[in-house]
Amino acid sequence: MLRYSISRLLGAIPTILIIITLSFLLLHAAPGGPFDSQKKIPPEIKQNIERKYHLDEPLYKQYFRYLGGILAGDFGPSYQYRDTTVNEIIRTGFPIDIVIGGVALFGALLIGLPIGIMAALRRDTLWDHSSMGFSMIGISIPVFVIAPILILVFAVNIHWLPAGGWQKGSLKYVILPASALAAPYIAYVARLMRGSMVEVLNSQFILMARAKGVPRRLVILRHALKPALMPLVSFLGPAIAGVITGSIVIETIFGLPGIGRAFVDGALNRDYTLVLGVTILYGVLIVVCNLLADLSYSVLDPRVRY
Amino acid sequence: MAAASDALKISAAPAGRSLWQDAFSRLLYNRSAVASGVVLGGIILASIVVPWISPYNYFTPEWALLNAAPTLHGGHIFGTDDLGRDLLVRVMWGCRVSLLIGMVASVVSVFIGVLWGATAGFVGGRVDSFMMRIVDILYSVPFIPFVIVLVVMFGRNLFLIFVAIGAVSWLDIARIVRGQTLSLRNKEFIEAARASGVRGPAIVTRHLVPNLMGIVIIYATLTVPSVILFEAFLSFLGLGVQAPMTSLGVLVSDGASELQSYPYLLFIPALFLASIVYCLNYLGDGLRDVLDPKER
Amino acid sequence: MGLGIFLIIPFCLVACNTNQKQAPVAAHDIQVGSDLATEQILNRHLEADPRSLDPSLVTDVVGQRVADDLFEGLVTLNEEGHTVPGVAASWETSADGKTWTFQLRDNARWSNGQPITADDFVYAWRRQVDPATGSEYAQALTPIENAMDAAAGKMPPSKLGVESAGPRTLVVHLHAPTPYLLALLANAYLDPIFEPAVKQWGDRWTQPGHMVSNGAYLLSERVINGHITLEKNPYYWDASKVRLSKVVYFTVGDNDATTDQYLAGSLEFTERFNVSEKDRLQRILGNQVVISPIFATALFAYNLTKPPFAGNPKLRLALNVALDREILEKYVDRGVGVAAYNIMPPLDGYDPAVPDWAHLPDDARHALARRLYQEAGYTDSHPLEVVLTYASGGPGTRRFMEALSAMWQMNLGAKVQIYNEEWKVFLQARQLKQPTFFWAAWSGDYPDPFTFMQLYQTGFGMNDGDYSNPQYDALVDQASSIKDAAARSVLFHKAEAILNEDAPVLPVYYYVSTHLVKPYVKGWQSNISDRHLSRYMYVLGHQES
Repeated sequence: MLRYSISRLLGAIPTILIIITLSFLLLHAAPGGPFDSQKKIPPEIKQNIERKYHLDEPLYKQYFRYLGGILAGDFGPSYQYRDTTVNEIIRTGFPIDIVIGGVALFGALLIGLPIGIMAALRRDTLWDHSSMGFSMIGISIPVFVIAPILILVFAVNIHWLPAGGWQKGSLKYVILPASALAAPYIAYVARLMRGSMVEVLNSQFILMARAKGVPRRLVILRHALKPALMPLVSFLGPAIAGVITGSIVIETIFGLPGIGRAFVDGALNRDYTLVLGVTILYGVLIVVCNLLADLSYSVLDPRVRY
Repeated sequence: MAAASDALKISAAPAGRSLWQDAFSRLLYNRSAVASGVVLGGIILASIVVPWISPYNYFTPEWALLNAAPTLHGGHIFGTDDLGRDLLVRVMWGCRVSLLIGMVASVVSVFIGVLWGATAGFVGGRVDSFMMRIVDILYSVPFIPFVIVLVVMFGRNLFLIFVAIGAVSWLDIARIVRGQTLSLRNKEFIEAARASGVRGPAIVTRHLVPNLMGIVIIYATLTVPSVILFEAFLSFLGLGVQAPMTSLGVLVSDGASELQSYPYLLFIPALFLASIVYCLNYLGDGLRDVLDPKER
Repeated sequence: MGLGIFLIIPFCLVACNTNQKQAPVAAHDIQVGSDLATEQILNRHLEADPRSLDPSLVTDVVGQRVADDLFEGLVTLNEEGHTVPGVAASWETSADGKTWTFQLRDNARWSNGQPITADDFVYAWRRQVDPATGSEYAQALTPIENAMDAAAGKMPPSKLGVESAGPRTLVVHLHAPTPYLLALLANAYLDPIFEPAVKQWGDRWTQPGHMVSNGAYLLSERVINGHITLEKNPYYWDASKVRLSKVVYFTVGDNDATTDQYLAGSLEFTERFNVSEKDRLQRILGNQVVISPIFATALFAYNLTKPPFAGNPKLRLALNVALDREILEKYVDRGVGVAAYNIMPPLDGYDPAVPDWAHLPDDARHALARRLYQEAGYTDSHPLEVVLTYASGGPGTRRFMEALSAMWQMNLGAKVQIYNEEWKVFLQARQLKQPTFFWAAWSGDYPDPFTFMQLYQTGFGMNDGDYSNPQYDALVDQASSIKDAAARSVLFHKAEAILNEDAPVLPVYYYVSTHLVKPYVKGWQSNISDRHLSRYMYVLGHQES
């Protein structure tokens, strides 16, 4: 397993390089630049700005310049926010998303896993239908509806929690965004868990174990749970990477200075460096999380070998 | 012996009709699935028929009747929107568009994702590594510039929506399928099939895929609502249905900002969206149950 | 299936709440006292994060808003939005109007205690046109001698027509008499800059702790997309009159989130709300909802280089006349916007040229529109088919565009297909003169007709429709070089009348500002520049029930 991990991580380097290259090309292929605005700038002045940011250089030069910067740990200036750098935006924004995403996902697992497992065990009963029905609210009512309702109830009508914003270290700013963010994940976790458990519970070796007279609970915990977790783990890999790089909807509705919003604004404003910086961050996270997910397959199902 | 006869039965699946007919009749015993099928069928039917028979269309404003509340006394049953257009007709058109987009995009992404993931998981080794690295890359490449470039290069095109959505949603399915394949490929019935001379691709399509379909169906039904809402986001980027035509995703997002002033503008489209999601999910569970080769 | 219950509960909470249409919701009752609150802190709003707080780099409205508190130029604005002395205590103009001499105050200081000198202005203005700075608004200094040449790199910045004639005397040389110069001087790009800070910190000089500012406030904290905290500048020359000790600007981009935060009390002076919310907000907040005209017009432009609008003024006029602007104003915009029949928004001292057909009763107007449409060569069996391009806005924008399209269909039978493009793609397309009919809203840079009129002069950079009328050009040129305000006004009026006839653009409505302001926040007034400097504001003691 160690050898496998190392070879995967080494393989990550060309992967990230390809990600950077493709993203770079895609960003520059989109029409418009960071300094296009409604009040058109005279061409000479536009040239000045582009020269300052090396945007007038041929594309390959800009590319290598960027790569050189990355290797030195410098993700470049932000073209949208001219007073700051990409490093700084990520440094201040990323922790916020980690906290909110982490709390949301943890909560979703805490609630969704037991619901899914119990629903599978009590298939086709009232408990199954109603708990599944409840958990699906998260995907049938969009987050941008759930979040304002939460704000309306807890912040506007009863002033228990703030309606948005962020104060480092203060828990009350985390609760509403994390709750809204967790809602759809509860649905994913519960349903994937239930579906997978049902499949495993039907499988041959479980039937055999039951036939041999092993008590039900033991059967479940010892034999069924681990393989049943596999689809969930496959899903969680990219989900973790996605949730901690921020949700644009949550950040917009709650006014959070995270990197999700910065990323989308960056794409819409052609802030090449910011978009590339967050893309690289996300790429690294995807590689790592997918690797961890894949490694856990062999823990959950001993037959899986690399 | 049981494994061999199972293998024989499974290998009959794609060709013969008996399995499907059998599955369908068993589905009828599942009450949630039947109820969901009826409701979903009703919505589909209504979305086709109502715009035909309604005296109102989806685009002509009625200045005197802006934001009329829903009323049962003739006229606008669901009320009117911000431009005085009948909400019922607009929601029906929205259902048409979103159901079409949701279903087609899901089918496409399932198709690609299953084949990709099953192949990667089954073949393993370097091929697996390579295929999954491509998945990693596609996850990471920023989506918005991709869509913008698509629109610029190909103009706006309903087909492009499917490309844009499909390009992203098959990734999760591929990962899940690959994971399942990794554990399935060591199972006895696969060995049996191999022993009886079935070649690689046939093993993938005839033996692995049916055993994967359960989880795949469940995941696919989970993604339909996000596909529908995603289309609303795409229309912001210049792709997707053009106003005044609308979709459920757009109706729900617009309604969300009128949550406090005119809640029915959100409530009604959201109710349809939620119903579609619930129905698809219960149907999905039912389908999973009847298609599971082990439940016999 | 338990699903039904879970769906109904959250909607009930909301629906039931808003069914009380009679009494305002009690949670928003605020009792205001008559004395100053003990804590003079104000929570204000930014609808987007400023791209920069460096005066040379400020290009957006939000940047100007914060810059108004951090910096002060030769002149500044008072509560009514009129220019009043700032760092400059007095000034005089030469006889030909091309040379202005400003005397700076003796007690004007930077936030580090250093006195402000004329050299600080000279440095800042040269920096503004220096190509190395990469300032996007260098052309705002066009009236100043050699500004554009310096920005184009044809001359060194030191040749810019500004110099210090003593530590407290600034001399400015203009190309031509520029009546609106004072209004220009109130903008961030002409504020002074403390050179040693820039020399020491380079691009990082705008960070809290590094920045040296001369306005009523200094920068104490900044989180991109989060908030900007300002604290009172003890060295500001008028500090004794500044009552707010702290101003925090929160960046909240979403209108619904902004309104929610206002209702929850964490924002006290907001900048935007959704049009569809206006009725409800007025019901529960009364005159906390502030709507007042600003100097901007929502316009569409016709592409005059290709069919169907090239050489077809009757068609353009038909579309202009056919729009029911009163309906748009009343029903679609719900009063958040004022019907516009000509391009110039209301401006003190200017008599707008309103086309005659604006006064016709609806029937007559529709008939006129149809007649023009037919004379332009279109009928019901051969209708106009054209695409109207705009850039993605929120649902409010889309609704508005749908209304326009429907109106032309209903009143003329014309098929105007609306088409939204992503913002930057749209800007690019406009520059390449691709769209046939497109959104072209404009807001004035200073309260003078020239900022609108110059848009339609032949060859002007922003004249995307390529309108060209030598008569119009001549009138505008003439007007812009006259000093006498009344005479200017008359000439601009004539020019605007030509625009009304030629119809190169389609004015639809004048913008208004949309603020929500807590009743205990005082020291501000609606003005057409929509600039409200925190230095005049204060907070009264209040109780929320």
